[in-house]
Amino acid sequence: MKLLTHNLLSSHVRGVGPRGFPLRLQATEVRVIPVEFNPDFVARMIPKVEWAALLEAADHLRLVEVPKEPIQGYEQDETFLRKMHHVLLEVEVVEGTLQCPESGRVFPITRGIPNMLLNEEETET
Amino acid sequence: MAAAAAAAAGPAEPPSGPAAGARFFCTAGRGLEPFLMREVRARLQATQVEYISGKVFFTTCSDLNMLKTLKSAERLFLLIKKQLPFNVSSVSKGKIFYEMQRFISDDPESWLNAISIWKNLLELDAKKTKLSQGDANPLKRKREENDSIIAKKLKAEQMQETQENRERQLEEPKGEETLERGDPLTEREECQEELQNDVTKAGDILNQKDLTFRVSCRCSGAIAKTLSAQEVGRIIGIALMKHFGWKADLRNPNLEIFIHLNDTYSLMGIPVFRVSLASRAYLRTAGLRSTVAWAMASVAEIKTGAFVLDPMCGLGTILLEAAKEWPDVYYVGADVSDSQLQGACDNVKAAGLMGKIELLKVSVIELPLPSESVDIIISDIPFGKKFKLGKDIKRILQEMERVLHVGGTVVLLLSEDHRRRLTDCEGSGFPLNSKGSHSDEPGVEKCLILEGETGISETVSSSFEASHQECLHKMPPFGSLVPVECYKVSLGKTDAFIYKYKKSSSSGL
Repeated sequence: MKLLTHNLLSSHVRGVGPRGFPLRLQATEVRVIPVEFNPDFVARMIPKVEWAALLEAADHLRLVEVPKEPIQGYEQDETFLRKMHHVLLEVEVVEGTLQCPESGRVFPITRGIPNMLLNEEETET
Repeated sequence: MAAAAAAAAGPAEPPSGPAAGARFFCTAGRGLEPFLMREVRARLQATQVEYISGKVFFTTCSDLNMLKTLKSAERLFLLIKKQLPFNVSSVSKGKIFYEMQRFISDDPESWLNAISIWKNLLELDAKKTKLSQGDANPLKRKREENDSIIAKKLKAEQMQETQENRERQLEEPKGEETLERGDPLTEREECQEELQNDVTKAGDILNQKDLTFRVSCRCSGAIAKTLSAQEVGRIIGIALMKHFGWKADLRNPNLEIFIHLNDTYSLMGIPVFRVSLASRAYLRTAGLRSTVAWAMASVAEIKTGAFVLDPMCGLGTILLEAAKEWPDVYYVGADVSDSQLQGACDNVKAAGLMGKIELLKVSVIELPLPSESVDIIISDIPFGKKFKLGKDIKRILQEMERVLHVGGTVVLLLSEDHRRRLTDCEGSGFPLNSKGSHSDEPGVEKCLILEGETGISETVSSSFEASHQECLHKMPPFGSLVPVECYKVSLGKTDAFIYKYKKSSSSGL
């Protein structure tokens, strides 16, 4: 699971609503998988990023060199884009957990795939 | 059709196919013909594109490498000749035999021209393979090593082909290719040997004077009642031997001749590749047929930086086809089944797309994504008794609608059942968007008509238009999802519908 994905995931446990974001990330196994850098692609992702959530997750993974916020003219700044490319797309959480900040429900991440299936009682109607 | 001077080209020259353009035809799954016509124009700059009785004909200068990239085609053939349907009104078989031999004796040039083009295509390809490998020696060594493997594979292939021919002859003369939903593609390995086979053959032909050949035949319509495909094959085979001095070889021929006789044409061609182009080298296990998956992705308007979601991805076939074609995109696949997700994971690895497709174990009716966060949704909605949510097509669409951006696209593959349920729920109340905004756009009248296809053969264009209009008519809006296009496609045993919607800013009816 990439940090770009973590940045989008929220808990849908009943009653939690918008307080189900962001999920608290813990990792026991992390891998870096190189992905071809495409500046256009990264530039388009930047406006969609929830920065607080990203920084929190990056912090839990003890990543360094994470930009704190989008800088002006980021679309042309290759250094910035490459850092963001690495953080968002190349860091893969292979084993770990995601925790709902409101309900405390834990969702496991196994072989890179987060399992966010809820059982009957937990789902919103 | 002029043969190319490709053999004279040095290594510095840009690769090209037959200078004047050669004529080809493709089989395609029923319903995919408009996609194929679009594709040959776009990818191969094809001209004289026509669709006639289940096949797409076109002219192009492209070489084998480019031809291999066609994604919505089944089998590709070099055209030898196409002429008026064979008249079986004469009673005596002897007369029929004589008439049939005239396919060759009246016009041997067509045959020789086609073979010359075919040889050039293979030679050009062999040359490129040599260049890419550095020098001729590794090719030779590799050929010798692979000969025994190739021989074994050819044998297995031929057994499969003979079986297929037998099956085709018994088949009802309705549809074209037999397609299976969830078809495990065992031909992937053979596909990779494809190039090696053709390269080896090119060398053989260059060195030998005698060409060996095999004829495979298909008969449908009126002629099928009088003659069997085997009889026709034999007649043509004998005529070819008499006229050109070639030898028949049922096991390992240099040249394959394909013949299709029906009520619309008498068609003769040379298969360019042994296996269907639907067999992708990069797809280990296909769920949905790759051609349909690609077709769906091709209408989804995928652009760089888009967020594309398949919330019922199964083995990931759609995402893989999309990722191969449009790489700089954020792809996410979701499924509830561990085994499917594992299969998808394996497929992603086997295709060399590690890190390009994210996978989630989530349910399509409970997507853990914010509203209006997804640009494009493409999905094959499963049906059948095993799939519990089949009846819940409305809930599925509602959740998709929620996560989709305004202006976003949804492309779905629906069964007849799903479609009926969607049509039934027209007019019933839908929940408003969270934004609760209203706009002037009335849902139904915004149905966009399918763009007119130019170049469709006169005899067929009207029936195409008619079926598309009918399809679109039955496609109701769903909340703020406005129907845009609709295609009916064959999945072999059943038919299905590709539905394309766009999310408008109106929040309901």
